[in-house]
Amino acid sequence: MAEAKTARLLTFVLAAALLAASCAPRDRHNEFFGKVEPPQGQVLRYITGSEPESLDPQMSSGQPEARLDIALYEGLVEYHPKTMEAIPGIAERWTIDQDASEFVFFLRKNAKFSNGDPITARDFVYTLRRGLRPELASRIAYLAWDIKYAEAFNTGGAFVRDPKTNRFLLASEAPPHAEEGATAEVVPASSSSTAPAASPDEETLFKKELSMKGEDAAPDTEFHKRIHAPERLVVPEDEKDREKALKADPKLAALVAGKEFVPVTAEDIGVEAVDDYTLRITLRQPAPYFLGLVPHQFFRAVSEKAIEQWGVNWTKPEHIITSGSFMLSEHKPYNQIVVVKNPYYWDAASVRLDKIYFYPLEDNTTMMNLYKAGEVDATFNHTVPASWLKSGVRYVKDYMDAPENASAYWQLNTTKPPMNDKRVRKALSISIDRIALADYRVVSKPNSAFVPQGILHGYPSPQGFGLDVEEAKRLLAEAGYKDASGKYDPTKFPAELVEITYNTNESNKQIAEFVQAQWKQNLGITISLRNVEWKTYLNMRSKLEYKGIAGGAGWVGDYMDPYTYLGLFATAGGDNGTGWYDPKYVQMLTAANREPEQSKRYAMLSKAEEYLLDAAPVIPLLKPATSWMKKPYVKGLYPNPGTLHAWKFVYIEHDPAKWDQGMPDMTTDDLAAR
Amino acid sequence: MFRFIVRRLIVTIPMVLIVISLTWALIRLAPGNFYASDKKLPAAIEKNIRAKYGLDKPWYVQYGRMMGNILQLDFGNSLKYENETVNDILKRTVPVSAALGTCAYLLALVVGICFGTLAALKQNSKLDYASMGVAMLGISLPNFVLGPILVLVFSLSLYWLPPARWGGFPSWNLLLPVLTLSAVYMAYIARLTRAGMLEVLRSDYIRTARAKGLTERQVVMRHALRGGLLPVVSFTGPALAILITGTVVVERIYAMPGLGNYFINANLNRDEPLILGIVAFTSIMVLIFNLLVDVAYGFIDPRIRY
Repeated sequence: MAEAKTARLLTFVLAAALLAASCAPRDRHNEFFGKVEPPQGQVLRYITGSEPESLDPQMSSGQPEARLDIALYEGLVEYHPKTMEAIPGIAERWTIDQDASEFVFFLRKNAKFSNGDPITARDFVYTLRRGLRPELASRIAYLAWDIKYAEAFNTGGAFVRDPKTNRFLLASEAPPHAEEGATAEVVPASSSSTAPAASPDEETLFKKELSMKGEDAAPDTEFHKRIHAPERLVVPEDEKDREKALKADPKLAALVAGKEFVPVTAEDIGVEAVDDYTLRITLRQPAPYFLGLVPHQFFRAVSEKAIEQWGVNWTKPEHIITSGSFMLSEHKPYNQIVVVKNPYYWDAASVRLDKIYFYPLEDNTTMMNLYKAGEVDATFNHTVPASWLKSGVRYVKDYMDAPENASAYWQLNTTKPPMNDKRVRKALSISIDRIALADYRVVSKPNSAFVPQGILHGYPSPQGFGLDVEEAKRLLAEAGYKDASGKYDPTKFPAELVEITYNTNESNKQIAEFVQAQWKQNLGITISLRNVEWKTYLNMRSKLEYKGIAGGAGWVGDYMDPYTYLGLFATAGGDNGTGWYDPKYVQMLTAANREPEQSKRYAMLSKAEEYLLDAAPVIPLLKPATSWMKKPYVKGLYPNPGTLHAWKFVYIEHDPAKWDQGMPDMTTDDLAAR
Repeated sequence: MFRFIVRRLIVTIPMVLIVISLTWALIRLAPGNFYASDKKLPAAIEKNIRAKYGLDKPWYVQYGRMMGNILQLDFGNSLKYENETVNDILKRTVPVSAALGTCAYLLALVVGICFGTLAALKQNSKLDYASMGVAMLGISLPNFVLGPILVLVFSLSLYWLPPARWGGFPSWNLLLPVLTLSAVYMAYIARLTRAGMLEVLRSDYIRTARAKGLTERQVVMRHALRGGLLPVVSFTGPALAILITGTVVVERIYAMPGLGNYFINANLNRDEPLILGIVAFTSIMVLIFNLLVDVAYGFIDPRIRY
């Protein structure tokens, strides 16, 4: 008896404690989530995701780092806090030539590093040359490969010179390749799939445009003439690699026999400081999206002084020199990164925050606990766990839910049956009810095309995949999964050859289970699920070792342009996790990028996307929502499509009358109510 | 005794080296690599990275280089956090984990031994049942359940204590993680103490002590506890080693910048130097604490002599 009583008593005490806790008096602002108490002064406490790999902007690829880099480093142009379009940064204005292959940036004269040194065009030349050094081995260097000879330099290429005439061989002289798949390997620099070698005609076109430039253009220089000369042929500099490449292409081998190989150097790439405040970037081909790419951390100014003195340790607080609106004052890994206002910043007068604490955290529940307890003021995207959303967090006034420049999709292994049949891939794609899936996922929106629909202003998204089970059955029957009477027969479908492989993650699992149920219901086939750890998943996907479906994919756009998505499938030899490659698709993209007029270019890209969807190497699913929290007193922090914030516009509002009552207005174009 | 310690320490070195070699081989066998990310890297960039980290060399060269460095106690730089050496990371994180772990274990020892002893002395009393009932709860309630409950009550409802993050030592931030971490150990120690004490209290030498006319206090404190705590001592070695080298779950829940958090990420990131460094440190700690336990036995248990 005694034990039972004690046990009952214990249960009672525990229950009472929990009850008391849940009924404890809450703060006044219960239309908001948890405690609402602004910190003293202009201080922001922000959760930016996991510990940054590096505070070196050229060495980090993720979004957590991007957010820190925006505080610490300034680019030629910056992200607009609401739309993420390019706005003036260190460059006060810029000109773009007619076919978007040459960009001239005019730098402001009062831009300074955090040690007071002026930031000049030479610093940007250094930044880009250094970012592309092969020894640095930056993972995001490919972002700058559009710059002429940047890829050649970054991948260790060499020009070919005829010792007799001292003339460099041209890319146009190289024999055309028999097989597309081998392109990238043979001549990495000049003719990777995204950049077919320019023909001599096109080169003359470039020259013509050069002479057509307006009076605003920078003066012509020796370098400028040289960089506009017809594109040179590039072969691997490394002897072993070169031999391999030449063996694969005997015609090329014959061409370069007896020639000298001159390594491509940093000085060869198409970046030029015309004078201290004029920077000219020459691309190897038209790239209208390039300006949208320039705010990316890879292009943000770094200090030669700090880097050359301290090497890999230059980002330590005691050595670092920054170029942005803030400077680093403390970095305790896995604990906190503190930045303070940079007094030398050219626009320091309008920077409102004195200090930002960035907390590197990984566990979503912990983040939300800290937010609720009022220990942090805002969080990054996708921080609200699904179960919290369902329990009502999405209805509080400080919940931020904006469409994201991202697309969630599955990749299909197009190299193995049954997925090597386009009809099967399409049939699977049109037997998913995406609206129901989005409902189930609470804050996501359905997306039937590859580029997220309705996010990129002015881009006419193709309709993509609807729900059409009859058509799916017809396609499958056509693909041979039919009974004697010619009707679709689910038992004939080799379901054992297909598996939805995804990396272990609650939301991946939910989506996989949902689609699995849809296929069972609509097509009568049972596809099994398999979850693997992240790096294992990446390995399986890149080696195409997965069976049928890689179900954990998604892509967050690097910039606000459809090409950031469509370019993913312009990889030679299908090196994109699906094995799908079509030269015609690449040609469509290249043609679109040569089109100077935006609306026409978008229409052409949309056609290319339609072509991609018709080939169906992916199953598009959802548009994720950004889904994060911000206390009402944090102003100037907008739910933009990339969750990348221009910290210089953010401030703490201490007057409760001026607090945000819901999502801030995203329609007006003013920069943070200045 | 001295010779015993020296002998054990000498054995430690090859054992740690074997552990490191096995770990190295396991990392190599695991699929994936440290630089892979969502976007498939162009082959040329992958080549740059492999050249930079010497991954293009044959495996025995890589192994030799790694071993050579480790023998000089240099684990190199982390692959994920480029500007940090593994030694720096260890130097920074071990004190955090150790503070958390030792506090939790001390709390567990004090509370556990008190209640265990009381329960044994008053066997089958209400006190005995109550403390053993709570102990059972402590053992069966995993810390990933207890932690969030404590946070819910003390941080999110009462707003008394911060729900997470490191705030230095000592600070209020430590209270919840220490409680969460110590619960299981407290409960386990209480049960071990009770069992040990019950056995000892019935032994002949306690009867002799009582027969000598010693007070109950003297009997318990001077004679019974010494024998009764032996199971706790042998439990302490491995337990402390584990606590000091980081506790993954609690460090995660409370966002502590300790070794456990790094260890799990190092594995997920395939950060080879960091994994090797942490594994080496952990195995050294386990071996040393086991040695300490054996030495402590020599002092506590009069029957054991080296």
